[in-house]
Amino acid sequence: MSQPGIKDPDLNSLLSILNDELKELVSKIYADKTEKVIYIEVAKERIMDLAKKLFYLGFDHVKSVSAVDYPREKRLELMVHVGSYLRVVRKYTIVIKSSLDRDNPRVPTLTSVWPSAEFHERETWEMFGVYFENHPDLRRLLLPEEFEGKWPMRKDFRIVTRKAGEAEAPWK
Amino acid sequence: MMAVVIGPFEIPGRLIYDFLHIFILPGFGAVLVLVILIIWAERKMAGLIQLRYGPLHVSRRFGGILQLVADLIRYSFQEFIVPRNVDRIAYLTGPALALIFSIIPVAFIPVTPYVEPPIYISSNILVVLALLSIAPIFIIVTGYASDNKFAFIGSLREAFLMISYEIPFIISILSMALLYRSLDMSGAVDFQARYLPGILLNPSAALVAYIAIIRITGRFPFEISEAESELVMGPYTEYSGLMYGVSMGIGYIKLYIYSMLFSIVFLGGWLPLVSGDPVSSYLIGGLIILIKTSILMLISVFLRSVYPRYRVDQAIRLGWSQIFFLSIVSMIWSLALSYVLR
Amino acid sequence: MEVAGSQDITQELSKEMFRAVETGIKEEGERLIELQIGPAHPGSGHMRILAWVDGDVVVRCDPDIGFVHRTIEKLSENRAYIKTIPLVERPSLLDTTPMTIGYVNAVEKLMGVDVPPRAKYLRTILAEITRIASHFYGIGILAIFLGHSTGFMWAFGDREVMIELATMLTGARITYAYAIPGGVRRDMPQSFPDAVEKGLRYIEKRLKDWEKIFLNNPVVERRLRDVGILKPNVARMLGVTGPNVRASGIDYDVRMVEPYEAYDEIDFMIPVAEEGDSYARGLIRFKEIEQSINIIRQAIKKIPDGEIISPQISRLFNPLMKKIYAEQRRVKLPSLMATLKPPKGEAMARVEAGRGEALFHVVSDGSTNPYRFRFVTPSFRNVILFKYLIPGHRVADIPAIYGSLDYFPPEADR
Repeated sequence: MSQPGIKDPDLNSLLSILNDELKELVSKIYADKTEKVIYIEVAKERIMDLAKKLFYLGFDHVKSVSAVDYPREKRLELMVHVGSYLRVVRKYTIVIKSSLDRDNPRVPTLTSVWPSAEFHERETWEMFGVYFENHPDLRRLLLPEEFEGKWPMRKDFRIVTRKAGEAEAPWK
Repeated sequence: MMAVVIGPFEIPGRLIYDFLHIFILPGFGAVLVLVILIIWAERKMAGLIQLRYGPLHVSRRFGGILQLVADLIRYSFQEFIVPRNVDRIAYLTGPALALIFSIIPVAFIPVTPYVEPPIYISSNILVVLALLSIAPIFIIVTGYASDNKFAFIGSLREAFLMISYEIPFIISILSMALLYRSLDMSGAVDFQARYLPGILLNPSAALVAYIAIIRITGRFPFEISEAESELVMGPYTEYSGLMYGVSMGIGYIKLYIYSMLFSIVFLGGWLPLVSGDPVSSYLIGGLIILIKTSILMLISVFLRSVYPRYRVDQAIRLGWSQIFFLSIVSMIWSLALSYVLR
Repeated sequence: MEVAGSQDITQELSKEMFRAVETGIKEEGERLIELQIGPAHPGSGHMRILAWVDGDVVVRCDPDIGFVHRTIEKLSENRAYIKTIPLVERPSLLDTTPMTIGYVNAVEKLMGVDVPPRAKYLRTILAEITRIASHFYGIGILAIFLGHSTGFMWAFGDREVMIELATMLTGARITYAYAIPGGVRRDMPQSFPDAVEKGLRYIEKRLKDWEKIFLNNPVVERRLRDVGILKPNVARMLGVTGPNVRASGIDYDVRMVEPYEAYDEIDFMIPVAEEGDSYARGLIRFKEIEQSINIIRQAIKKIPDGEIISPQISRLFNPLMKKIYAEQRRVKLPSLMATLKPPKGEAMARVEAGRGEALFHVVSDGSTNPYRFRFVTPSFRNVILFKYLIPGHRVADIPAIYGSLDYFPPEADR
């Protein structure tokens, strides 16, 4: 399985290919200083097109879907790590970052492009509140069914324990 | 027969013999001692193969032989919890009836050529086979009565496997009866005394009977209805206390009876004993039968350390394709041989 | 040009699965039994497997995980950087070292600290020792799920050899917290190379016994061959990692793809199988134990002399710490490390743990606690196989497939 246009897995040529293919979609592409990770910042409306383009370039599975909470900037940053099993590009991990509105974070689901994202998206939903539209099975994964708090991983979640005898959970 | 006089009472020898046969040898006493020893041997053998000690601390000087007695005492004192939604009569009597029907055949099995067993029927092979095939029904009822999906699946598996493996077993035993021209166990041993032991006369029948015994008594690799990693304990999942001890014991008591039947029909029973007076022939014959039975039981329980368990559909397929076919082969072989040895 | 039609595969998979459930439920009404192979079950581990069963065939399977969720990611946001090192070990209790190595690698990238070569080799040796112990655990669980109690006992007995070696090196049996940013905490004792050689020879001898009783056991072959076949394309799409994906024909191993620590200086092979069934997954684990033995031998031979902690850290030592370091080759953490403040930024590291690829992403805002620590374990990536691989097999295949995947619930739940 060979990719059109990618002849050797050199970082600079990969960056230039990405720049050519994706320049109208994304706002920023840069590599970190260890040169194994490539960060792509994209607006949330373009994320599906970016995903499809990356898939055609050979990145075929998702390693992680999560979010970072920036309450002071009133945004949630969706963080998707994408990798590949193909020999040509398996050295590189691409991190897709996309800013979402903190009060109503909605993103189209990535499982239509990458089926491996299914359980990761469930975890991100229950921990941060990011709603993935058209997800086949969006429900709680790690938290117990009777857990009454909301979005535990956000920075404004109060971590308190319930005293014995208290009827209502204090973290609501 | 002779009588024993104690004071003003005259106890006929027949009564004494029946008492000894049912309660000491080869009845309850022998069953208890042999089952305890075999379970200890199984755990010790498995332990030594698996780089560990096995039972050790109870009666340390004797290698932990009394561990089983300690376990039995513990089960007797444990609280017996009856869940709310079970069918009470079936739940309480199921294992007990399975146990009873497994051990009744002891009264029919002779251990010496000179004295008749307590209940003498001239077709006692048939009677023993019939009684033994009733016990699985109570196991199925037990699993169904416990209000538990895993017990239900366990009893379904037991039902399927019972049909697949009892039929070849009955066919192989009947083919030996055909060869011996008698349905009487004494007649079987007489025939083997004249010619050869049954295992050499009809090896395929012996093979079928042995594999069927391993399945019916639930030894590895056929420990399917009580598969621990799939159904917690199969039909016996909901039992605790003394009934749990009884459930564990059923398999071993069935193994005892089946091994005794196998050793009489295939291994010559009380041979090489041929003559003697009633008392000594009872003791020596009984002892010889017990030794052969325990060797068979030891081999059967040793398989725990070697094999995992089969899947239920693989075992059923094996039963209906290869084992059933071999039992038909053994029947034809018996017919041919009995014509030759006319 | 399309590489592979993932659209088709997801839709194929979902259609196949849910069609069976819908027809079952609609047409036959009460035909399906819902089995809750729950947390208190000998064959389930710390999770609940919900299986809808038609007769003996599983129609739909839903892994219900989260029973041992210990909120490692949230806890690390309220603790200093070095306190997360023991925290990261706890989920994956069987191969703890690759987890600490990954986290420490990420922090070192943030801080810009280099690790001396001797420390890299020591970390590699310990990582391979834990890999062997972890594979034995997986093999033991596979054996007991099939009913093979001898395999179970032997696996845990042989694992003890590796744990004793680790105790000799680090002082703890299972959770070592051996790697710290900048190096390792202890040097290896003088008797260590000989003890390692003795242990490795014992394991090699035992592997021959294992072949006779487990790999060539006819009942084991019947239970495991052609059960749970994972095709390479499906494995790629589902993002499966570790020996599971190597048994399906894809030779992906992070130690070769993105070498970390001393793996780029050591010669080793990646065992790959083509069939993708449960037997292949079990066999790959045995072959990986052999490769790990090879790696440890080379590492012990090639290990260079030198420092075990980076000079950027050791210049913060006070005289007592310097004395202990010179005499006993033990590192006492300087107090500045407890309030470590890496510069603002983010870093990612990935390692090959015993069960597959683990990913660590640390976001720092310049304070003493990490701002966000994202931690994905290989078992979490393999949970999806419960949903897509088990339907179509029989009830008795659930433990067989589960054991062959070497899924460890606490690792997946973190």
